[in-house]
Amino acid sequence: MGGSELQDTRANMDEELLRFMDLLELLEKKRATLNSLIEQGWFSITKARYSMGNKHVSALQYASEMMPLVCVHTKALENGEVQFFTERHIQKSSAESSDDLLPVEDIGPQEEGLRRRNKTKKDTPEKKDTVVAKTAKGPEVNPVGKIDQNPQQDPLKWFGILVPQPLKQAQSSFKQVIELSAEIAALQSAVLRTRQKLRLSLAKELNSEESLGKSAKEKCPISDVTVSEQKECIQQNKIVV
Amino acid sequence: MAGRGKLIAVIGDEDTCTGFLLGGIGELNKNRKPNFLVVEKDTSVTEIEETFRSFLARNDIGIILINQFIAEMIRHAIDAHVQSIPAVLEIPSKEHPYDASKDSILRRAKGMFSAEDFR
Repeated sequence: MGGSELQDTRANMDEELLRFMDLLELLEKKRATLNSLIEQGWFSITKARYSMGNKHVSALQYASEMMPLVCVHTKALENGEVQFFTERHIQKSSAESSDDLLPVEDIGPQEEGLRRRNKTKKDTPEKKDTVVAKTAKGPEVNPVGKIDQNPQQDPLKWFGILVPQPLKQAQSSFKQVIELSAEIAALQSAVLRTRQKLRLSLAKELNSEESLGKSAKEKCPISDVTVSEQKECIQQNKIVV
Repeated sequence: MAGRGKLIAVIGDEDTCTGFLLGGIGELNKNRKPNFLVVEKDTSVTEIEETFRSFLARNDIGIILINQFIAEMIRHAIDAHVQSIPAVLEIPSKEHPYDASKDSILRRAKGMFSAEDFR
């Protein structure tokens, strides 16, 4: 019974070790990609700085109000690992663009209103239309003010309205880096968890070897020696602790 | 805020922070506390460590990105953090390329194959 348990533990350990190696390999690959993307991003920032001027691409340009456009969702798995997913708030950029479009859209209905006024030739609808037009004008001014203070605006706009292409390239590089960093965080969590499992399996194997050691003394003197050595090590550890 | 997911925090040099903020991770909360720290020449290690610890204490942060050369300054604090959330990721900086042998996670993983583990 004990022997089969030991074999099972060893098989599990082998599996875990292989998984551990695979995870480390994947982590290394992703790290290399992340590093090259970051380098690309810096290079683009430097190019943008060269064309815009030294102080135009610096911490001084950060907005006084900012809201995150990307967030991370975490999910704890049953095996203790944690997964990280990034979520980009597309609504915000679309909302922002719709805000940008709002004044344009409002101009359209006003023109239509004027046309209607000419066509209908009635007094009461005219008044209504003008009232509508006035109310439409009111909110038309407000969004313009809001856009300037909108904390959810594209960070590119902190650096100007017409930013050079390298800054846009830097932004796209760093967007990829952010996504990749979530993947790496998940991999790191998996690596640490697998390591923990392996350590537990090792401890378990050592214990089972100890228990088996007494019965296997006569059969295998070599294993007996190793078990006694292990015991000594454990005792030494206890003394040290 | 809580329903929207967690934030990504950055501790790094100016270009690193600028890049990640361009990526859209920046936030200034109600108390006007940012989720990033631009480390300059005159930034003290104490300030870096305090910021790092405050990021660890915040429950709205999921990942902390930190330049490896800055991580080296507060290595003890990084090594002491063993929880999965927030995850700490060491990234390269302009002057200092990434060195896997210094990474706290990889050093822990490497420790798996040391003599101590096989006792």
